[in-house]
Amino acid sequence: MSEQSTRRQFIDRSCRILGFAAIGGTAGLLTHRASGDAVYQVDPFKCTACDLCRTSCVLSHSAVKAVNDFDKCGYCMLCPAYFDVTSRPDEKGIPAGKVCPQDALKRRVVGKVDEEDPNNNYYEYIIDETRCDGCGKCVKACKPPAGNGSLRLEIRYARCLECNECSIQIACPDRAIVRLSTPGMAPKEHVVESKNV
Amino acid sequence: MEPNDKETTQLSLTDRFRRSWFPPAAVVGALGAFVAAALRVRPAVKASARPAESAATPNPAAQAAGSAPPVQGLVRTYAQSGALGGATSAHPFRRSLAGVAVGPNDMIYALGDDEMRVFDSTGNPIRTWRVPEKAECFSVGPDQHVYVGAAGRVEIFEATGSHVGGFAAGEKNRPAGITAIKVFQKDILVADAAARIIRRYDANGKQLGIIGNKSKAGSFILPNKSLDIDIDTKGVIRATDTGRHQVTSWAIDGSPLGSFGKFGMSDPADFVGCCNPVNLALAPDGTIVTGEKMVARIKVYQADGKLLAVIGPEHFDPNCIHIYIAVDSKGRILAADPERREVKIFSLVAKAGTAERKTEEPEST
Repeated sequence: MSEQSTRRQFIDRSCRILGFAAIGGTAGLLTHRASGDAVYQVDPFKCTACDLCRTSCVLSHSAVKAVNDFDKCGYCMLCPAYFDVTSRPDEKGIPAGKVCPQDALKRRVVGKVDEEDPNNNYYEYIIDETRCDGCGKCVKACKPPAGNGSLRLEIRYARCLECNECSIQIACPDRAIVRLSTPGMAPKEHVVESKNV
Repeated sequence: MEPNDKETTQLSLTDRFRRSWFPPAAVVGALGAFVAAALRVRPAVKASARPAESAATPNPAAQAAGSAPPVQGLVRTYAQSGALGGATSAHPFRRSLAGVAVGPNDMIYALGDDEMRVFDSTGNPIRTWRVPEKAECFSVGPDQHVYVGAAGRVEIFEATGSHVGGFAAGEKNRPAGITAIKVFQKDILVADAAARIIRRYDANGKQLGIIGNKSKAGSFILPNKSLDIDIDTKGVIRATDTGRHQVTSWAIDGSPLGSFGKFGMSDPADFVGCCNPVNLALAPDGTIVTGEKMVARIKVYQADGKLLAVIGPEHFDPNCIHIYIAVDSKGRILAADPERREVKIFSLVAKAGTAERKTEEPEST
């Protein structure tokens, strides 16, 4: 009899442990999801710069901005992300049009400067985030084979409201908006207003 | 035994289970897990949500340039006469294709899958041997030795594949970014894209000189971090200067001899995009064959820069950032497409001003 009782007690304890584990696991998952240690970010390998980041964000000026990876950048004189290479060239043979409709992509000469022949110069390209609306036209133009793929879109944490459901993530046809765990990331100060308030 | 104990022990296991608090706990847990999973699952996106411009059109500029009508009024016409190593071939390149060269008796050498594959001029395989991993370029010398560039070193192999030597290229703390090798007599020319110059070595690896630094900018302008070179029988070096959109010429002592080419999106003689031409090779008749990216195509120029022929983008993968080129003694152009991992062979079929017009059926090996 005592042996049978022990078996039942064992089953009872096992069931309780399983119950606790299920409840605890669920609570942990929900707590982790609600915590500030995870952020939305753009996966550059999936992103096709489709322009939905510009229009889908709840902010009036999207939290998604273009950024330049200087290690990859070719510092081109005729950057295909800066110049609209299909536009009519000026008298120096340089395309007159620019890719960025907001004129947010800026450039400056770096290194030794040749005033006479700009083809001898290297140019550093920087994004003016106050102008960039995340349309991704420069990112698309920089993709290989035309460019080196140094430009990419990125969610700027200082602007992102971290909505419970990211509207860009819902809209993204390429599932390029991912949730990244960032343990220990410092709390941030929001710098933008919401479109919905 | 106490009455309560008796009652407990007489309960069936099912009743015991029903009376315990586990079932509601399990239900709560399952519901919680379901809710959590539902929160993680994103709603399906309708296909119509994707804007018209998307991954299907990777680059509007490339699309505009690539959709240009066929070039009229060219002096030469080439047609594909064969192919090596494609997906349907008996000897496909499965992972990579990083170069093509022509050796003695027009033997075809192709670097891919960390192997050197040697074919006869008709495309029949002769031999294969292993090369260093991440080999980026190679050349076949007049001595039939094969010079392979990998990780800042030049490795030298006999025609049979035996490793016979090698040397480190570049500076002591700054290894060369070797993107091309060519051999002229006893000199080995190494294109160092990291330093943006051409280094000239003897067979023992002693640096004899530098080519490309006697220009106004002091080096080649290489936004795409690639430099390709070739040398003719007289010792005139041709090199790609991609940032300036030029083919440049140099003497073996490093003196500049001239250049041709400029940026342009409409005239087929010009070079498109940020940085072209990306590859080149010299033909025995003195013509210069260039490979371009963005609009993946091959062009044939006279030595003075006059455009003779265009082999259009319909032959190549649009995502090619290189088209490796070699020309054999008959003037056939061998073009390695690294995206499709296939070497295409193009033969001259017509020349303006000549009655001769050959037709060749493509053959695949």
